[in-house]
Amino acid sequence: MHLRKSHLLLGLITIWIALAKLLHGKNTLQIDTYENTSFTSYVGKMALELRGNRTESTAFIYFFNPIRTFIDGFVQTIRNLIAVPAANSQIPTIGWFGVVGLIGFFVYATSQWRTAILSIALLLGCGALGMWQFTMDSIAMTLASVILSLAIGIPLGIWAGLSDRVLKFLTPFLDLAQILPTLVYMAPIALVFMIGAASATIATMIYAIPISIRITSHAIRTLNQSPVEASKSLGSTKKQTLTKVQLPMAKQMIVLGINQTVMAAVSFVVIAALIGAPGLGKPVVSALIIRNVGQGFVAGFAVVFLAILLDRSTSAAAKKQVSYIQPSEKTLRNRRIAKISLGIGALISVYLSRTMLWAAVWPSELSIAKQVEVFTNDATNWALKNLYFLTVGFKDFISYSVLNPLESLLAGSPWYLTVGMVVAVALVIAELRIAILAFALSMIIVLSGLWYESMITLTQTIVGTLLTMMVGIALGIWTGRNDRLEKILKPFLDAGQTLPAFVYLVPMLGLFGPTRFTAIATGIVYSIPIVVKIVCEGIRAVPHSLVEAATASGSTTYQIITKVQLPAAKRTILLAVNQGLIYVLAVVVIGGFVGSGGLGYLVIVGNSKPELQGKGLIAGLCILLLGVIFDRIMQSSARRS
Amino acid sequence: MKSRNGRRSLVLAITLASALVLSACSKSVNDSTSAASGECGDYAIAMHAWNGYTASAQVVAEVAKKELGCNITQTTLDEGPTTYDAMEAGTIDVVIEDWGGGRWKEWVDRGAVVEAGLNGNVGLIGMYVAPWMAEKYPDITDSKNLNKYASLFKTADSGGKGAWYEGPPGYTTIGEKMVSANKLNFKVIFSGSEAALVDGFTKAEANKTPFIGYAWQPWTLFAKIPNLEKGHVHFPANDWSDAAEASGLTDYPETPLMKLISKKLNDSNSSFATLVKNFQWTNDDQNSVAADIEGGMKPEEAAQKWIDAHPDQVKAWIGK
Repeated sequence: MHLRKSHLLLGLITIWIALAKLLHGKNTLQIDTYENTSFTSYVGKMALELRGNRTESTAFIYFFNPIRTFIDGFVQTIRNLIAVPAANSQIPTIGWFGVVGLIGFFVYATSQWRTAILSIALLLGCGALGMWQFTMDSIAMTLASVILSLAIGIPLGIWAGLSDRVLKFLTPFLDLAQILPTLVYMAPIALVFMIGAASATIATMIYAIPISIRITSHAIRTLNQSPVEASKSLGSTKKQTLTKVQLPMAKQMIVLGINQTVMAAVSFVVIAALIGAPGLGKPVVSALIIRNVGQGFVAGFAVVFLAILLDRSTSAAAKKQVSYIQPSEKTLRNRRIAKISLGIGALISVYLSRTMLWAAVWPSELSIAKQVEVFTNDATNWALKNLYFLTVGFKDFISYSVLNPLESLLAGSPWYLTVGMVVAVALVIAELRIAILAFALSMIIVLSGLWYESMITLTQTIVGTLLTMMVGIALGIWTGRNDRLEKILKPFLDAGQTLPAFVYLVPMLGLFGPTRFTAIATGIVYSIPIVVKIVCEGIRAVPHSLVEAATASGSTTYQIITKVQLPAAKRTILLAVNQGLIYVLAVVVIGGFVGSGGLGYLVIVGNSKPELQGKGLIAGLCILLLGVIFDRIMQSSARRS
Repeated sequence: MKSRNGRRSLVLAITLASALVLSACSKSVNDSTSAASGECGDYAIAMHAWNGYTASAQVVAEVAKKELGCNITQTTLDEGPTTYDAMEAGTIDVVIEDWGGGRWKEWVDRGAVVEAGLNGNVGLIGMYVAPWMAEKYPDITDSKNLNKYASLFKTADSGGKGAWYEGPPGYTTIGEKMVSANKLNFKVIFSGSEAALVDGFTKAEANKTPFIGYAWQPWTLFAKIPNLEKGHVHFPANDWSDAAEASGLTDYPETPLMKLISKKLNDSNSSFATLVKNFQWTNDDQNSVAADIEGGMKPEEAAQKWIDAHPDQVKAWIGK
């Protein structure tokens, strides 16, 4: 069976290449980037009307605008507290010294000394990078969107945890939200809620809510059922069982969900700046525009600091619940005393931050931003000067040997050939149902008029994914087999996952110039950590007995990897491919900023040229459709393997 | 377990409550330092990302703050519809330099945005080759000869043709039309950002590699790459003012840059409205401030330096 499948695939691809050669350049549906189809100009007109209606139509007056006003107000309140002065004041309600004191206290109260000290150090680090106000803005934005996300996500998650029907109803939306590249839904949201904090908050929520729903419902569903049964048989009402048994038992997992929600919100900090979010995203994005690598990194470091701070403080709170050993009276008392004195210290720091100028506004002398900026710029310039020829050679090699042939196969051949072949591949490796879905979605792309650009983006995504998998699987296997390596790599992988792709888009531009490969390279860097993590887990999950049996029968390491571990972890690896592809797709589209063209550029240009707005919105839709097609095919083929 | 949790929340709650009370009651730095904010009012200037814009906007901001006592917020955001929407929503009052040749029309028609006259800077857009090429191949700057050199510009990304690097998304660009109308053997590559063009021109000049790309004046890159202006490729004189109607055969026209203000500011009759409406200066003025910023001066300092050197002009703007 397995052999037949791969033979079939090989045959298909051969036919595909032959036909593509024969029919090259026919029916590619290519149109000028600045040309609209009748469909996209219709969508553009609708969007224009929507803008015009924002002050008149009832849907806006009674629904969207109140939501915007409420969220704007909510964000502004938090910002006034810690980040920006309210009207008629010179400083925010709590100055930097007070914020440091309060956060230190809260982290200590919810977890432990080490985390508290780490948090304070990271906060001071953000200040030293000259990013205090931006950091506070980001914290305020994150806080606002996390609070609102949890307010919606936790109740929905509980409901989905208790009712199968609700879960079934929600699942497609949850799946979709995970595939959706963030760049895609920002334009439609901004269209309705306008550029600003409200739009950014809502965009963040769309990203974060599914995560909190998923984890909360999972927490309820995976509970040990015997206490629940016991409570039911003792005659508790549903409500009593929920509040007295299920929720307390699921608490730890729900806190973990909060942690994941926070991390989702943080990862949005940068890209949200594109639709007017205040915070660290602003310096990062403007560094891209004026090509100042140093400034981008200074702000990027602050984002990483912030991410670590929020991650450690919330995950420490989650872990703390686990300890079953009752601490002694003495440690408890000591802790209480420490807590109270820290609390008093925090109060004093708040007081100082309101009365003393030095404690209110971060002193600009305490800044190493300039040095870091100069250092990074120097280092980058050195690297660019000395590595440029190497990187350009590599870029050209990949471009000529993989990128161009694949592009001419996917985009340069008639649309019906490509659609037909995608469907055929889906038939071979996935199910009939999925093949039909792939056909329907591909046809929507064709009819939208953006087929050619979609294939350009798809080409870059596939090349990026291939390269990611080559590096990711190798590293994943290696870390899966080597504990020490995993320990060494873990902080880098964590940082790689939190460092916003925008930050290294500029250095990539320096290394590879304004080309398609810049987008691909950025996508690779962004997706490698997740692929390594998944593959590593897959390798570790292979039963020890299998490996030991192979070792005992005298297999070499190479044989163990290729004959035992890889086949046993095949499913996980397929999932890693899928995850890698979705990640690469999400980042390849921001390559539109650095000359990679395709759908990403259309989204970007749609934001700044009114006449192309419709095309931009449809381009966003096409990105989503590409993502869904591939996600479904890969998921199904992982299921079947 | 329960009591421990309870006590923990209690300490947390007490601290939070007292922090709030404290911040509400205690005498704050605000009261002691609250500056003399004049009768001018609170306004927001859009800060677009390019350096020339920063120079103009910062000078207006400094004059407004120091001379008129206005409360000025400077908000970084994208040019074009993004900004017009913000003006409609009331969060932005001033765009000091807009290149967009009428893309604001829809908002003006709706009464959300008001044209506030020209700012005195004149934008010149064009296609430029790296200066070393203009020197080595003197006839390359005539559009008719471009095809002769097209093969030089070939890259891995240009599909066998010359690579033509188009301007950033928000700018007026008609590259695709120019290439097809003039039957140029080039492929348009959408560079996507100013950064991409800076990167392209800078490396091309440093490594003496071929490059043709979109550029505009005033732009600080012209100060960094000597003789860049000599690389201007000349197409026949322009025949259009609206990008949608351009034939593509001819060059970009000169663009007088426009100031836009919100309806709110226009109706306010405040001294700030007068300043913005009167503000006008030359490309040289803008370049001198922009160059100072580029050289590492803070925008506020660079703007102040220019203001100190031109007191009469400033007086004329504020109508005193």
